[in-house]
Amino acid sequence: MRPLRFALAQGLLLNDALAALRAIALDVSRVTPGGRRLVVDGGGNVEFVLARPSDIATYVERGAADLGIVGKDVLMESAARVLELVDLHFGACRFVVAAPRGALERSLDEYRHLGSLEVATKYPRVAEAHFRARGLEVEIVKVAGSAEVAPQVGLADWIVDLVATGGTLRANDLAIVEEIAACSARLIANPASYHYRRAEIAPLVEKLADWASRSRSSANR
Amino acid sequence: MESGARRPLLSAPRGFRDILPTEARELRVIEQALTETFAASGYMRLEPPTIEYSAAQPTQERLIQFLDTDRSLVALRPDLTTAVARLVAQRYRESAGALRLSYFAPVFREEPAMTAGEREVVQAGVELIGASGPIADAEVLALLVESLECCGLRLDGATIQVGHVGIVQRLFAPLAEEPRSAVLSALRAGDLVGALRRAHEAGMPSEDVTRARAALGVIGRGIEQLDGDDVRELRQVVHLARERWPGSVKLWGLPNIGLVPALPYYTAIVFEALHPDVGVIASGGRYDLLIGAYGAPRPATGFAIDVLRLHRALFAEGWRPADARPLVTLHSGGDERATMRCAASLRAAGISVAIGDVAETAGIALIAAEVVDERRVKLGDGRTIDAATLARELAT
Repeated sequence: MRPLRFALAQGLLLNDALAALRAIALDVSRVTPGGRRLVVDGGGNVEFVLARPSDIATYVERGAADLGIVGKDVLMESAARVLELVDLHFGACRFVVAAPRGALERSLDEYRHLGSLEVATKYPRVAEAHFRARGLEVEIVKVAGSAEVAPQVGLADWIVDLVATGGTLRANDLAIVEEIAACSARLIANPASYHYRRAEIAPLVEKLADWASRSRSSANR
Repeated sequence: MESGARRPLLSAPRGFRDILPTEARELRVIEQALTETFAASGYMRLEPPTIEYSAAQPTQERLIQFLDTDRSLVALRPDLTTAVARLVAQRYRESAGALRLSYFAPVFREEPAMTAGEREVVQAGVELIGASGPIADAEVLALLVESLECCGLRLDGATIQVGHVGIVQRLFAPLAEEPRSAVLSALRAGDLVGALRRAHEAGMPSEDVTRARAALGVIGRGIEQLDGDDVRELRQVVHLARERWPGSVKLWGLPNIGLVPALPYYTAIVFEALHPDVGVIASGGRYDLLIGAYGAPRPATGFAIDVLRLHRALFAEGWRPADARPLVTLHSGGDERATMRCAASLRAAGISVAIGDVAETAGIALIAAEVVDERRVKLGDGRTIDAATLARELAT
């Protein structure tokens, strides 16, 4: 059988993910952020695959990787069928609905008169599910980047975006209307791999769960 | 397009594909092995319709639907268990004994674009309806293993995993109805993090959440630390199933509490067959409430094998079907009447014959022969032999 394959998201989460893996004594020394080698040996029948965050869920869903570390935001948007095993707590951010500061009343008035709101977002699936659950009639406008500029230029009334500190929203004069979900990094697994290769996977899951609860309690102190 | 002529659409719609003769022949071999195995345990084959009412499906997700001409919403059947449940509630409402039914047929499920998802999947399975208790569960579980082994699949100790939805439900029994169903639907979706968080938010004490998390991770011998009637039932079913089909793997059937299928209708024992290269090959379990939803409550258990995945797993292990009998390609010497008669006498001797060239062999060996007269052919090695002799040679 091939080595246990662990998919890691390049980008913001990578350093925290590597720190977590180092803390549970996996050898991540050959993983070089920004490097060219994307499949690297991790020793002890484990190998790491580096990929874009939005591809991690696909790799794991299709069994190309057995385990992965990826943000809950990515999982929500991809709707991939994977197992979410551990909340690793780092990479915290929130999906929010935001509107131009002071224009909330006006947009609700528009909604009463015009019957629908336009919402710009990079996360159409998350936005759609949220407004459907709320029973709010909206038109989703998918953008590839910088949704926060949409209300200013008249592209949409509101936005759905991912925020960490809220700095970008403030800079663009947007205020949070409501929070959709809190997100953080998750340890995920391919369901068949998780069951079939449990003897190899369970110890890693246990150690990462321990590490996550210890790192959270030390952060809270 | 340049000429203005419409370019013909050559590919099948996304998620559907052609099955060409080589693959089709291999699938027929698998179908035959499965059908014979099911029949040998008394399972009768039936064929539900391809289309069912959308509203009669237990979940509306992933249906491929369209409006019928009478404006009712119908769907390509997403699942055969549901079709059989509906059929049993209608046609066997009065029958009290055990029904043993089997099927081999395609099912259809919506898949998002660009994910290489297949929308047409072939399922082979059985349903044992009207029988409850561990003996019935063991019968179906053992029949799954027997079926896979009869197709030539090599099992190992982790291939067959057995869980129990009742044990999972019991872990969250103290919760109120609404949060408990939210927890269970999160588990069915594979979201362990979300399920445990919801349980905690609904007032489940931290120690109990920790205990539930540990229990959901129990696999194999760890089950001996757990208690309860459902745990005993799981162990008994595995034990009885091994008695019924000892199989090639010692102690097959790994208890796994965390095995929670995505389909919502399972009520007790559940099981899956897993393969390291292709994932879940088969799944099944007890679904005592599904037929009741159609107005005729009956206990029931069954399984479905994903035939195309089973084929892929067999292929990955180097399996190839036994050689089919070779095909004689008969070339005319100019006398068409003699050629026709010669072909007839070869076929009468039990030989497969095609007249002329054959472009698609489906992996079957070809034997070229020239017509000599109505009963004799000349082979590539120069010999002239009659139909009966050729038939004897091909049989050895």
